[in-house]
Amino acid sequence: MITVNRAPPYLTVQDSGRKNARASGVPQGGAIDSFALGAANALAGNSGDAAGLEWALGDGSIRFERDAIFALAGAKAQAVLSGKVVAPCTTIYAQSGDELVIEQISGGRFVYLAVGGGIDVPVVLGSRSTYLPGRFGGYQGRTLKRGDSLGLGPPPTRTPAAGCHCAADLLPRYEMGIVHVTRGTHADLFDDDTWRTFTNSEYRVAAASDRTGYRLEGPALKNPVGTLPSEASCPGSIQVPGDGLPIALMADAPTVGGYPKIAVVAEADLPILAQRSPGATIRFELITIEQSQRALRRRASDLHTISQLAIRSYR
Amino acid sequence: MSATTLRAHPLGDSAVTITFGAERSAELLERIHATAQSLEAARIPHVDDVVPAYLALTVFYDSLHASYAEMAAQLLGACERAAGRSGEASSPREHLIQVRYDGPDLDAVAAATGFSVSEVVERHSAREYRVDLLGFVPGFAYLSELDPALQLPRRPEPRPRVPAGSVAIAAAQTAVYPLDTPGGWHLIGRTETVMFDPARDPAALLRAGDTVRFEPLR
Repeated sequence: MITVNRAPPYLTVQDSGRKNARASGVPQGGAIDSFALGAANALAGNSGDAAGLEWALGDGSIRFERDAIFALAGAKAQAVLSGKVVAPCTTIYAQSGDELVIEQISGGRFVYLAVGGGIDVPVVLGSRSTYLPGRFGGYQGRTLKRGDSLGLGPPPTRTPAAGCHCAADLLPRYEMGIVHVTRGTHADLFDDDTWRTFTNSEYRVAAASDRTGYRLEGPALKNPVGTLPSEASCPGSIQVPGDGLPIALMADAPTVGGYPKIAVVAEADLPILAQRSPGATIRFELITIEQSQRALRRRASDLHTISQLAIRSYR
Repeated sequence: MSATTLRAHPLGDSAVTITFGAERSAELLERIHATAQSLEAARIPHVDDVVPAYLALTVFYDSLHASYAEMAAQLLGACERAAGRSGEASSPREHLIQVRYDGPDLDAVAAATGFSVSEVVERHSAREYRVDLLGFVPGFAYLSELDPALQLPRRPEPRPRVPAGSVAIAAAQTAVYPLDTPGGWHLIGRTETVMFDPARDPAALLRAGDTVRFEPLR
């Protein structure tokens, strides 16, 4: 079991999301930076679909109520375990009673904590992810508060060695401001000038950005149609509302929408966009669906390499 | 409409949107619903979800195990085969939802449409509605076609919180709010029927293509 000692402003249980309930209007959800949760899981000896904690917006602390293996990944954070500095993307062993403090998030937005055995909350619609707008999933469908205790699954029988570490070259290049996109389902509705504006401009992540969507500030795009009959969207869809300021839909976005979609963020780069804080800038670069799927497979193979690295260190 | 008008387009790395036509119509929607059901029944490997909508349906798939080109070709073929069997489409599931017509906007709707409250209730409950699609929030089903005499634009100021179970109308559609959410539709009644329960499978009571009638509780 782990207990929230001091809750940060945002802390939820997330896993790889819901993949079979979209026809009921249930968003995919799951970790907004699924790569980071996957890397943390691998380094904590978990399978990729284990649930972890998604942490943002400030400092807080967690107490381990049993000996446990854990790893942090995602945004850069100053973390300390009972007085000792915790390195990111590294296998760490905590003893019962140890307190993990995240003092400050310095680069990026979401930190992931994976604990050996995974966070054990009920599976709802195929996932342990918290869906805050619907108040279901995760821990009672809500953000975690001081005093909440979370059960853990059975500890992994074989675990990576302490200090098992994944090199930065296996992680998405979060510091790069380039986000690759493929043409959206309504790409043809936008004229060449609009496309040039979209791909040649810098966009800033607006303050009004959350797990539902990131609003982008920059040159407006000419929306030639207003709204269209609703159709399915996916995380990463970049829709253009009437005011022309694009919105990138994120993990908790509604399953359908009526704004034209100019582009869709390559899944390989979705973690890079997800980790851009309000005020940070990005540029979009168009690639083909073949390139995008290849990049996604490379990402999956990097994650596999991380889990192999962990397995090779088994003690 | 011939099946050759089908067009596939990637929706990111893990979905294909197949467009059936350019103009909304009841016939097109029916065809999309029937095709979506037959794709689901076909249990195509690596397919996660099928989401029907007005002009298109979207298939979500496991892109680590299937490429876009393979998936698009396979799905276009499956959609065309489904079109050939359209006569065999299963009859829609029918739902009867009991409604207490006492919503906070009922009087305003009556005033705006020039009917008495009981005429509004009668007109709303006289029709059989079709589930166009689900979305907005989990379990929210857009139902068509509302009596033209009851059609009003959305409220200028959406409410920050509409209680779950609220029966509402806006433009040509009606719906039941499945969860407490913000909302801009006119609230004319409420139902005890649970439209969405995450512990249920399927979680949403309604599915695209179903039909719904409302019965006034007195």
